[in-house]
Amino acid sequence: MLKLQNLSKTYSKGTVKAVDSVNLDIAPGEIFGFLGPNGAGKTTTIKMIVGLLKPDSGRVFINGIDVWKNPIEAKSQISYVPDSPEIYDKLKGIEYLNFIADMYEIPKHIRQVKMEKYLEIFNLKDAVGDIIGSYSHGMKQKLVLISALLHEPNLFILDEPMVGLDPKSSFQLKEIMRERCDEGKTVFFSTHVLEVAEKLCDRIAIINKGRIIALGTMDELRSHAEERESLEKIFLELTE
Amino acid sequence: MMKKIISLIKTDLNITYGLSALQYKFNNKKDRLQTILIAIALLSLIPTYIMIVSGLVKIYDAYIGIGQKNMFLLNGFIYAQLIVLLFGFLYVMSKYYFSNDLNVLVPLPLRPKDIVGAKFVTLMVNEYLTSLPIILPFIIIYGTRGKEGLLYWIYSFILMIFLPVIPLALASIIVMLFMKYTNIKGRKDLLRVIGYIILLIALIGFQFKIQSIAQQSLLEGENFFLEMAQDSNVLVRKLGLVFPPSLWAALSLGNYSSVGGVFNLLLFVGTSIAVFWIMIQLSEKLFFEGLIGGLEVATTGKHKKVKIEDLSRSSLPFLSIGLKEIKILLRTPVYLLNSVLGVVILPLIMVISTTMNGKEALGALSMLTEGNSHIVSLIGIGIITMFGVMNCVGCTTFSREGKSFWIQRVMPIKVKDQIFGRILSSLFVQIIGIIALLASLAFIINISLENVFWITILGLMGSVAMTELGMVIDIFRPLLDWDNPQKAMKQNLNVLIAMGIGALYLGGVGFLVYKLFKTGVNILAIYGIMGLIYIISSYGLYILLKNLIIRQFSILE
Repeated sequence: MLKLQNLSKTYSKGTVKAVDSVNLDIAPGEIFGFLGPNGAGKTTTIKMIVGLLKPDSGRVFINGIDVWKNPIEAKSQISYVPDSPEIYDKLKGIEYLNFIADMYEIPKHIRQVKMEKYLEIFNLKDAVGDIIGSYSHGMKQKLVLISALLHEPNLFILDEPMVGLDPKSSFQLKEIMRERCDEGKTVFFSTHVLEVAEKLCDRIAIINKGRIIALGTMDELRSHAEERESLEKIFLELTE
Repeated sequence: MMKKIISLIKTDLNITYGLSALQYKFNNKKDRLQTILIAIALLSLIPTYIMIVSGLVKIYDAYIGIGQKNMFLLNGFIYAQLIVLLFGFLYVMSKYYFSNDLNVLVPLPLRPKDIVGAKFVTLMVNEYLTSLPIILPFIIIYGTRGKEGLLYWIYSFILMIFLPVIPLALASIIVMLFMKYTNIKGRKDLLRVIGYIILLIALIGFQFKIQSIAQQSLLEGENFFLEMAQDSNVLVRKLGLVFPPSLWAALSLGNYSSVGGVFNLLLFVGTSIAVFWIMIQLSEKLFFEGLIGGLEVATTGKHKKVKIEDLSRSSLPFLSIGLKEIKILLRTPVYLLNSVLGVVILPLIMVISTTMNGKEALGALSMLTEGNSHIVSLIGIGIITMFGVMNCVGCTTFSREGKSFWIQRVMPIKVKDQIFGRILSSLFVQIIGIIALLASLAFIINISLENVFWITILGLMGSVAMTELGMVIDIFRPLLDWDNPQKAMKQNLNVLIAMGIGALYLGGVGFLVYKLFKTGVNILAIYGIMGLIYIISSYGLYILLKNLIIRQFSILE
């Protein structure tokens, strides 16, 4: 579903390697966790996947489509939720949702069903008539989540999705991620919350200084590390 | 405490004038260009300034002639303090209540008067930049022509230092009171728009006053200055009575060698300090009350019910982009003022200036247009086409996305839809401009249906080309990293660049049309040629834009 081939990106005229020959192959139906300390290259990698940052070298395939060669086809298969919800403050919630739905050309009857479902789940029904500028950080985050779910993307990409969500929404989001994978769709997300990754993910990659230093299921990761009890210990040991 | 305030003032000055960023700025090519362009713009104002100053010399002589040379100084102080007051409202409003650092400053352990005091000092620097160019010529002319002594210059220096204090403190008090009593939730933006419009009208009125004075002086020659000196004596004296500080300043400088001079100087300085002190004391009570609540965007209290139909309102992608642009344009005051108000104000000025200048101007216009009503159409088309770039919609369309730009880039939007949608939002503003122009033309002269037809059709075609031109520039160097919409539109260099290139383009088309018109080419053929030029350039720009968008959308970081 998602394939990264030798993906690299340098900053400051080649002196800082943010992402260094990253290779990943993620199958349909997988929940994939992307872990790493601050500044390890998580967001840079994600931005290269969704088309926000052009890689210096390497390729990104979504369902076999090269993101940087056929951006429109590739982008219609994915949805992206960034780490901070910078969206149009002057639009009403509902206007934003309809705008996004128009961009994905979602038919009327489908968008109505989806909107009702997700607005209910994330408890945003009452606020959706207000302008986004009046929302709290968490409400904006939830609105971006809803907008990203409207077109039922094959690949759902989230950058630090749990930050700023209340416990209930956070729980709901985890449920939704699980459901999507049961339907054969793919979820790719970065996180700092090791517990979430441990419980939720089919596979995990740990990135440090731009390189993937560990990749596999929880069990496989355990077999690599000396301290084997928790992901926290593994993480700390590997990224030292 | 004092240390804290000084640190606050230093930081505020640093941020406001970008002192720390200056070094970085000059190393950056883009910003260097900006600095140079601003310098050129300032230099271009010098000839006008010299003209005004040389006019002042004549006014000084006229006052000498009627033995009222103190009145000359009074003029200077009144104008300078009046301008400081007018700009003061604008500066105080944005500096005290709408600046970005408030979110940082308010939670710090500072008293309201510390914040207001520091901001006041920064504004003083701003006001010197405004007041010195006005008062200096008066003082220098008076001093050099009258061969005044050293004490005169010392007095002048002290007076200039204190000159902005009273008007700026008054502006602060008025704005703080205004903000306290109008701190109605959710009405902040509306009030701001109203405030701007009132100020704009005041400035335009002031501009016309000066213009008509200048025109009159050209007509009447030397005698004019004498007459004006005599006439304005009454007016200035009245103003002086309404605003005594200017009078004290003039009297102190006019009688610097006598006791009266010292007395008036002390009065001026003392009052300045007193008014400043009162303002600071009041700020303790007023400032936070006007501020709190102003920082947040208020909801309407009860939530608006969203109906089922709203959940399924779909439209074509390009329409949806256009509508989104229009909604944001209309709901962001800075955008509204620069786009829609921009295209309405010029036709309005046309009406005001012709009615103010009376029958002569109207007569001349009718004479010009009587013979050939097509001139009206051609000029109208030209104005509308120029609006196409002046409305700032095209040349800031990507910049306005700001930090939300990622939305446009991660979604599967066809480039064609991007372009059409954004042109649509510019045409929306253009249609308002066309209505305003046609209405004001109809008010001034007789216009025919034919005029309406050609101005509308060819005006819109020209607008498309102009909007695309702006978009080309904006996607080439979008200004995305802003935290205040003001930066995306008002302080965006792309607007200036687009206007420059747009003016060249329009100048070229205009020159061609003028030549064709003079050689007596059939008017329909001229319209045809214009239309063809617009279509060809629109298409060419469309192709260029398409490629640029694809390229920039992928390489921007």
